[in-house]
Amino acid sequence: MHKSLKIGMTASALGALVALGGLAPAQAAEDVAKLSVFHGVPGLTVDVYVNDKLTLDDFKPGDLAGPLDLAPGTYKVAITASDAADASAPAIGPVDLPLEAGKNYTAAAHLDEAGKPTASLFTNDISQLAAGEGRLTVRHVAAAPAVDVLANGAVAITALVNPKESVLTLPAGTISAAVAATGTTDPVIGPADVNVAEGTNTIVYAWGSLTDKNLALAVQTIDGLHSNPDSIPAGEAGLVATNQADDSMGLMVGGFAAVLMGLVAAVVGMRRLSAARR
Amino acid sequence: MRATVGTFTVLAVALALLTGCSSAPSTSSPTAYVPPTNAAPTPTPSAPLPVAEVDVPTVSSSLDQNQTPQARPPQTIRVDSLGIDMAIESVGLADDGAMELPKDPSLAAWYRFGPSPASTTGATVIAAHVDSLIYDIGPFAQLASARAGTEIVVTTDDGQERRYSVESVQTVVKQDVPWDSIFDRSGPNRLTLVTCGGEFDYYARTYLSNVIVSASPIA
Repeated sequence: MHKSLKIGMTASALGALVALGGLAPAQAAEDVAKLSVFHGVPGLTVDVYVNDKLTLDDFKPGDLAGPLDLAPGTYKVAITASDAADASAPAIGPVDLPLEAGKNYTAAAHLDEAGKPTASLFTNDISQLAAGEGRLTVRHVAAAPAVDVLANGAVAITALVNPKESVLTLPAGTISAAVAATGTTDPVIGPADVNVAEGTNTIVYAWGSLTDKNLALAVQTIDGLHSNPDSIPAGEAGLVATNQADDSMGLMVGGFAAVLMGLVAAVVGMRRLSAARR
Repeated sequence: MRATVGTFTVLAVALALLTGCSSAPSTSSPTAYVPPTNAAPTPTPSAPLPVAEVDVPTVSSSLDQNQTPQARPPQTIRVDSLGIDMAIESVGLADDGAMELPKDPSLAAWYRFGPSPASTTGATVIAAHVDSLIYDIGPFAQLASARAGTEIVVTTDDGQERRYSVESVQTVVKQDVPWDSIFDRSGPNRLTLVTCGGEFDYYARTYLSNVIVSASPIA
């Protein structure tokens, strides 16, 4: 499932692509920009050049690379055929990607609505989620007109167009997701189960081409966005308390008296209950 | 080639004869010599080399390969030395943001959004009421008397028994409990058991402390 792409790079490219694979572990998370790359152009294995240096070799459709930890700045990305000798004749780009520190990005190579290869830079929402919630991001990067996204059969997103995204916050759990032409419910993709995991941004890409009948869903996840429960109230009777009732009441009442009081209260409560029933 | 042969000794002549032999039959043979001579320098990718090789993690992003996997729920917990043998429910959150717990103290609860015993990292959190006005005292009341080394066995839904050894038992005033580290999803896989204990507020009907047992997997 996991595989590795070799990156060939010179010392100057290393200067630009800092903190790759733990090369600069001192760099704090808020000081770097994170960049993933999604390949959504069907049938085209490519090379990806960053600042004219080969960064992803033989990158295949449907694959996701990264995230790379990069120093903030603007990076020039060119995507070439996989047999190109350099970045001088790109199939897509070159495009300038301005990356800010502390942010998380995905650059997607994909088709535009008309089916022409292009590239888009998406900023991934990594804001913290409430405990129990998951985030679902849907991105339309397919050669297809506007779509609706159905979650468990109900329309969740309407009129999403290439290359836009829609972001939902949902109770964590698995949904059945389908994509249909806007205003319709007949799926062109799916339905498929998508785990909207708690504390995670689950990013779903609708990619491929409607006319070529190779529309598909791809998924990228960014976890660690969770919040935690704020307490565990795990007792209500005081039966194993290390103190007795008087300790916290500030009264000089012994344990026996506390039990008596409890009995009295119970009896009073029962009388009130039976009185109320009458 | 012949120039180098001229500068070398008899041994080198022998080598040159070898290369001479190999280059003679075909053009494919010289490539057979390249791997052994290259094999020595490449294992040491030292810093001054102009070209470095770095791996970028790459995965298939298909739905069946790149989704967040479903956690493997723990189903029972046993601490034989304390007489604890309980079923475990998978729970989320109560309305007030607390971890949800079954009312019955003889049932334990696992926080299903956090790590499970099958996770590679993080703390599995299992909690239970210590007592109840309806159900009386529960098995987790015994946790306060656990000691370092007490063995805990948690069984996950695949039937696998996972053994832990108690590292510490602490009674912490509720306001001081570091919930973010209790529910930590990073760090080594470990087990954290939580119940209530310590002093009781007889007006508010709540314990003032949590009893927290930390345990590590037994290899």
